[in-house]
This record gives sequence, C-alpha cells and structure tokens, in this order.
Amino acid sequence: MPSSCDEKIPRIEHHQNNSDVSITICGYWSLNSRERLRLLRRWESLVLQWKDVLRFEIKCDESLVWDSSLVVFLRNANRDLSVNGGQVVFLDLPAGLNKLLNLADEGQKRNKEQKQDPPSDGFLSMEALLKPLDFLGALVISFLNLVRGRSVMRWRDFFASARNCSASALPIVTLISFLTGVTMAFVGSVQLEKFNATIYVADLVSLAMVREMGALMVAIIMAGRTGAAFAAELGNMNLNEEIDSLETFGICSVSFLVLPRTLALFVMTPLLTIYADIVGILGGLLVGTLVMGFSALHYLEQTQSALTDMWEVYSGVSKSLFFGLIIGFVGCYKGVFSGRDSASLGKSVTSAVVISVTLIIIADAFFETAFSLLELR
Amino acid sequence: MNVSGRDDIVIRVESLDLAYGNHLVLKNISFEVRRGDCLVVMGGSGCGKSTLLKSMVGLLAPLRGKIIIDRDELWLNGDKKRKETLKKLGVLFQNGALWSSMTVFENVAMPLEIFTDLGVKEVENLVDYKLALVGLAGAGNFYPSELSGGMRKRAGLARAMAMDPEILFLDEPSAGLDPITSKRLDDLINELKESLGISFVVVTHELASIFDIADDSIFLDSESKEILAHGNPKDLLKENTLTKVRSFLERKTVNNS
Repeated sequence: MPSSCDEKIPRIEHHQNNSDVSITICGYWSLNSRERLRLLRRWESLVLQWKDVLRFEIKCDESLVWDSSLVVFLRNANRDLSVNGGQVVFLDLPAGLNKLLNLADEGQKRNKEQKQDPPSDGFLSMEALLKPLDFLGALVISFLNLVRGRSVMRWRDFFASARNCSASALPIVTLISFLTGVTMAFVGSVQLEKFNATIYVADLVSLAMVREMGALMVAIIMAGRTGAAFAAELGNMNLNEEIDSLETFGICSVSFLVLPRTLALFVMTPLLTIYADIVGILGGLLVGTLVMGFSALHYLEQTQSALTDMWEVYSGVSKSLFFGLIIGFVGCYKGVFSGRDSASLGKSVTSAVVISVTLIIIADAFFETAFSLLELR
Repeated sequence: MNVSGRDDIVIRVESLDLAYGNHLVLKNISFEVRRGDCLVVMGGSGCGKSTLLKSMVGLLAPLRGKIIIDRDELWLNGDKKRKETLKKLGVLFQNGALWSSMTVFENVAMPLEIFTDLGVKEVENLVDYKLALVGLAGAGNFYPSELSGGMRKRAGLARAMAMDPEILFLDEPSAGLDPITSKRLDDLINELKESLGISFVVVTHELASIFDIADDSIFLDSESKEILAHGNPKDLLKENTLTKVRSFLERKTVNNS
C-alpha cells in the first residue's frame, strides 16, 4: 500500500473480490479540504457501481488523520451501502472514531421525540374570536370594581402610564400635527386659488384638523408609540413569569396591569387630540400669514367663524376616546397573550401596532358614516 | 405535628390528569404532602414537573382529578374561592419572576399592601424582616435587573413568604446557580422548614439538592406520564430497582433500547 499522508488529501482505496468489497480510508480528512468534496462525488458513483455487492469491509490506514468530516462520511457510507441489502463491517477503526460513531448512533436512537404540530390557532378559530371578548369582559369587570372602590389597581401606575403616554409624547405630537396643518394649508391654497377663495384655507385646515386629522394623527402616534410599548412591556412580563406570579398571589393581572394603562390612554388621547388640533391650526396660520400674506388676525377670525359650531370639535374628541381604548386594549391584549420566546414577543408588538391602526381607521370610518347618517355633519 | 386538630396532610392530589390543549402531559397523578415536610418532584427534563407545579398553584386547570390544599379543593369551587386558597401558598418561580418595574422592597411589600390593612411602618418592618431572613437585608432599593441570579431567587423567596404562607412551591430553585449559592439556598429551605414549619413542594433535578432537602419525593416519567416512584430519595436510592429511577439518582446514563 502506498504511503498516504505525503500529500494532505483524503483518499479511499478499494478492491473488489467477487461479491466482497474492501475499502481502505487513508490520507488527511479535514472539513476544510476541497479534495474531500471531489472525493465525495467520486464516492457517489462508486456506490452506484456496487449495487450488487453483498459485503463491505471498511478499514482505516494507520497514518490516517481525521476530524468530524470522516465521522459523517462513515455514517453516510454505512447508510448508503446498506440500502441495497449489503452488509457493512468496520474493521480496526481508530478508538476515538469508533466511540464517536457509537455515541451518534445512540443519540439517534434515544431521541424518539417527534415534533408535534402545536394545536392550531387558526386566524378565524372560535378561540381567536372568544379570547379577546373574554379579555374585554375582564377589563370591564375590573373597571366596575375600580368604580366600586374594590380594585387592586394602583393609582401611581395609572399616573406613570399617563405621563408616559402624554407628556413624553408632546414633542412628536407637536411636530406631526404642526406639519399636518402646514401641508393641508399648502394643498388647500393651490385648489382655492383657482376660485379666488384663498382665505377659506383657514376653514379647511381648522375643520379638517378638529374633525379628522387631529384625532387620527394622535391615535396613530399613540398606537406606534404607546401601544407597542404596552405590548412589549407586558409581553416581557409574561416571558419572565411576572404575570403568573401576580396570579398566584390572587392579584388580578387585568386590574393590576391592563386597567391603569388602558385608562391612561382613555384619558390622555382626547387631551392630546385637543392639543394637536390647536397646533395643526397654528401650522395653517403660519402658511396663511407667511406664504399667502393674510394678517394673523384675519386668519384667526376666519378660523373662529368656521368653528362656531363646537360639535365639530367635540366629534373629533369623542372619537379619540374610543381610539385610546382601542390602542390600550389591543396593546395590552397582545402583550399578555404573547408567546414565551423573544420571537413571538416581536410578533406581538408588530401585530399590536398593525391591529390598532387598522381598528382605528375602521372605527373612524364607522363614526363618520354614523355621524352623516344621523345628520350630525 | 397535629396542632389544634388540623389535618396532618396539607396537600392531597387525587388522580390528576394534566394537558396542554390536546397534548396529555401527566396522567393519574396521586400523592400527599404532610404538614412541615418537603416534597421534591423530580424527573428528567420535559416530564411535566413544572406543569404539575403550575396546576398546583392555580395557573393551569387540570383535565381531571382534584388538588386539595388544606381541605380546600383548588379547581372545583370557582375563581373567588381559588384566590382565597391561593393565599395559603407562596410560589418561587424559576428566575424569581420579580416585578421588574418595582424595587425588591416594593416587590415584597406589594402583597402586604394589597391584602392587609397594615400601616406603612409595619409593612416596612415586615419587609425588612423577610429580606433579612433570606440574607438580603439592605438590598431593598435595588431593582431586579441590578441583582445577581442568586439574589433574585432569594428576593423571590422573600416575596413568596410575604403573606406568611403555609406552603411554599419552588420551581427549580437551584437551577443556574453555582454550587455554593445553591447549597446556601438549600440550607435556607431547611431552616425555614424547621423554624417556621412551612411545607415545601420543590421541583428540581439537582441531585445534591434533592438529597439535602427532601423528606419525600415523587419521580415523574415522561414516557408513561405517571409517577414512577414515590418515597424518600435516600430510600429510593437504596431500595428502588427501576433502572430509570436508579440511573437518575446515581447519575448514570442508561441505554433504554
């Protein structure tokens, strides 16, 4: 037999005697070797040639150098060669190699556990419909308990949430509603110029802000900012078994965690909406005075005459009450029922935002339709 | 000990079946815990130890069977009664499960504030005492994220003891702790058991802990989903002839082909 370790390449030598094949593994077997891949391709064609062979003897050359690549090769060789009924015998394998092969075989046998599909949580399964209703019921009951003065809700949690979702959100609400006012004024001025009625920009901006844009913009900011934060916070608490530990103390997690957060949004979203309305109108004022050349007084008087009916303002604010509830409810629901791993936490946060925004738009359309059918517009 | 005519058995579990959805985890589980004893629930990973614990602390409704804690059935009497029963027990979760938005002090104080009419000063004294019991005196102002794993567990234990429960459930108390910290926790369990007469149910697969703290034990098996052995682990080591139990207690690998 020629010396096999002169070059650092893996080699296989084989002799066929009638129905027996003897295979000698020699050379340098390394995961990084390119030669090995070439060898494996040749090996595949050899296996095909040996379809009718009954017995294979595999042995190793003494100067063999090997790593995991050889263990994997031998496991696969054993499988491939015995597919057609051939008998595979390993002769004089190095002791370490033998042990590794046995260990892997045992591990294969021991792990009988098969992955089972989790119980289906279909998009429209009965549970998917009933669970939110159940949660909503629990929230209503815990609110009633709060009214009756029998809730475990801590008011400092409410105030902390209220501060987080209002005062800390002022900069972003200011920026976005101001720019919304500016944009609407520009868009409106182009159209109104055609009719020589540019002063009605004040009406357009103020009515659009108080009826629609103020409430909608604030709700979308809240959904992305606070709803996502609630989902992440509660989801993480669920992950750490913190919600379980509340339950084992007999503390209602809905009253303790969900109620203060939802209530905070319920109270704060309308306030932010009023603020956004004002800032939006100021945005319009800026365009009206600096670009279109109206005096500030003129513009504001025109705004005032557009808003003589305060219902315009109230309708927007009343919508935002519901938007706040939707965001709080969806964020907390997604957090409390998020799975117990970080991937599903991410999914929960994403879907909290997506579902809140969708529900907000649906609710908005519903309100506008209702207002118009009831002739409130 | 049978003081003031109370039952000697503090927990009785009768032919309990537990499942997640359609997936049966444990079946026909029956055992008892004597007052002031420490029962260890052991078994390999994934055999349903934590599931059993979840059901006993009111987090997972059983498919069938009863769990009686100090004469009260846990699952048949509705939510309100269950919450009352739960007040008799304290739970230490695997990683402490401290409420992360509160300091250690607030964690221990919260159940007292919610369920008792104690004044601020009294609550403060009680919390200081519980923290001192677990060796965390002076650590009250830390947030959970500022504590080491061992400290978190001890803080969790202090919180579990906040309401002076008669029974403490511990889920893998020594998992992830170094041998010295884990030994200290075991000593603490033994001391609490002796000095306060608290009964313990401990889920663990740490052999050293098992021999240290257990008065009684049950061995759950993931294949049959039943109790494979029941008794003091030291006796089991001497007398039990089942390969699975022996190899677990002797820490040997088995060929279960």
